[in-house]
Amino acid sequence: MTMTDGKVLLEVNNLKQYFPIKGGVLGRTVNQVKAVDDISFVIHEGETLSIVGESGCGKSTTGRSIMRLEKPTGGQIIYNGEDLFALSKKEMRRRRGDIQIIFQDPYASLNPRRTVFQTIDEAMTIQKVGDKSNRRQDIGELLKTVGIGEHQMNLYPHQFSGGQRQRIGIARALSVRPKLIICDEAVSALDVSIQAQVLNLLKDLQRRFKLTYIFISHDLGVVRHISDRIIVMYLGKIMEISDQKSLFNNPGHPYTYALLSSIPSTKMDEKKARVILHGDVPSPVNPPTGCPFHTRCPYVFDQCVSEKPVFYQIGENQSAACHLLKNGKVEFKNMKSPG
Amino acid sequence: MNELVEKDVILEVNNLRTSFYTDEGEVKAVNGISFSIKEGSTLGIVGESGSGKSITSLSILQLFAGTTGKIIDGEILFKGENLLEKTHKEMMKLRGNSISMIFQEPMTSLNPTMTCGEQIAETIRTHQKLSKTETKLKAIEMLRLVGIPEPEKRIKLFPYQLSGGMRQRVMIAIALSCNPDLLIADEPTTALDVTIQAQILELIKNLQKELGTSLIMITHDLGVIAEMCDFVAVMYCGKIIEYTDIRTLFNSPKHPYTVGLLNSVPSHEMDSDEDLKIISGTVPSPYDLPTGCLFSPRCPHAKAVCHESMPELRVHEDGGLVSCFIYEHDKWQEER
Repeated sequence: MTMTDGKVLLEVNNLKQYFPIKGGVLGRTVNQVKAVDDISFVIHEGETLSIVGESGCGKSTTGRSIMRLEKPTGGQIIYNGEDLFALSKKEMRRRRGDIQIIFQDPYASLNPRRTVFQTIDEAMTIQKVGDKSNRRQDIGELLKTVGIGEHQMNLYPHQFSGGQRQRIGIARALSVRPKLIICDEAVSALDVSIQAQVLNLLKDLQRRFKLTYIFISHDLGVVRHISDRIIVMYLGKIMEISDQKSLFNNPGHPYTYALLSSIPSTKMDEKKARVILHGDVPSPVNPPTGCPFHTRCPYVFDQCVSEKPVFYQIGENQSAACHLLKNGKVEFKNMKSPG
Repeated sequence: MNELVEKDVILEVNNLRTSFYTDEGEVKAVNGISFSIKEGSTLGIVGESGSGKSITSLSILQLFAGTTGKIIDGEILFKGENLLEKTHKEMMKLRGNSISMIFQEPMTSLNPTMTCGEQIAETIRTHQKLSKTETKLKAIEMLRLVGIPEPEKRIKLFPYQLSGGMRQRVMIAIALSCNPDLLIADEPTTALDVTIQAQILELIKNLQKELGTSLIMITHDLGVIAEMCDFVAVMYCGKIIEYTDIRTLFNSPKHPYTVGLLNSVPSHEMDSDEDLKIISGTVPSPYDLPTGCLFSPRCPHAKAVCHESMPELRVHEDGGLVSCFIYEHDKWQEER
């Protein structure tokens, strides 16, 4: 499954996405929310890279920035050797044929007044995919691929269940023959039995069409199931980048460790000791100095408050930003929290 | 009945049926379910959307104002008294006092125009005769109990000034302010992030131990069930299809739906790259329920008998209850 040795498909360099906060009588920008604050990573062809984190960590904003759905504040996104941020609107529109996105709420992201055929036809027309005379046949085929009957082509979104609507969202994304699909909480709104069906479908499509996924989710169970590599974000910054096995068996960052230990376990006979983080995620308007996690970290010490940690390589495919790691990897399982 | 048993069980629900009447017909949201809760213990009700788990909790408190929902049959015995025979006024006295409830979305269930302190005080004032200062002190004490720092200052804050986790703590403070015997928590952590969920679950567990409250935990999350409950009822299409203790549920689930549900959850502790074992199909429409066993159209083991008649909830040899013909050997062997 690991395809980390594949060709680099997309490169994110020092991406920054700030949103202004307007205030006062004149509506001037009084402050800004640093939703994504200087992150860099690469994604290889054919792999599934997940981005996880709690609400407000910037994972969805990262996805939207790659699609250029927001006006970027800074940084570069290199796709196929060209910087997406340097493209004109028209050129970017063409590029979106290669990069597609699936959203969380399939009902809100499908036009309720268009049939399935019209919705998919629109996407294909804009991207000039396929022959117009074969459209019905092509869309019929596509719907079959995602598990929707050909005869349901002329129905409206409200006539489908939540799981089926998400399949239509997937069909729309697939219709323009993309290379990279960004799945933004694509299975979060579905019931577990339906979620499992859609996850299996996504895996199957990846094998058949050699797709690359950026999978954005807050659900670590789902992420473990689908990912090759994982990025953990907190307050707009990357805390850890790791391959799937290392992250779950031996997390490198104390935040990752706490996140994993917060998930309720269904294993009845192995109750593990849990690290319960205190307090809430701080406001991204006024993030903490030094390491953004220091206000909640059980292992915090002086340096964390004053100095931003750099990334330490702690495994072949694992690196994390934490001052504790300067002398190598730390086993949090065996570590006593000082507090 | 034996007096000891009587004293032990705080809530007993017998053959409860709740229906909604819409233009398209009757929806049997809860269709003849029975369960009971022992004092101080936790019962989990788990199921997917539309299984009737939330309607079960609303039925216990009869919270159907403004809807077409109606309890059409059954009894709900709380400390031996049938709640369905109580008058409106008697129920008002009970809600928030002996039985209280926590909802999923703390923002929409708190009043945005009242401070947190006032909302806690309102509940205390309704049910207890305390002076103004005593009420205020009690409100502060409740906020401290649910782990809100600097409660003297926080009682003056409005819900929008608090984070999601803090709002849920305020909800819990309101629910526990009159020291109820039974607390119903309907998806209390579903809207929260995992690290905050862990805090809130820990809080509910500790308070339950401290105050001796009985708890009904309604959720779709099997992890939360495993973490919190002593007994579990699995619901599907308005019926309980399996009812057992927590250990048996996770170590040896009986009903094919329970097995499917457990297999569908991608666990962060799972070690495989394989596809998930899925339950095919979808939950049937409530207007068009299948004949026979409600799960039969999706069940991998279904035989003719399953499509013809509905299996009853029967005691299995390991002590749990399950409604599936696989465990009725005589009927299952006849087919072939």
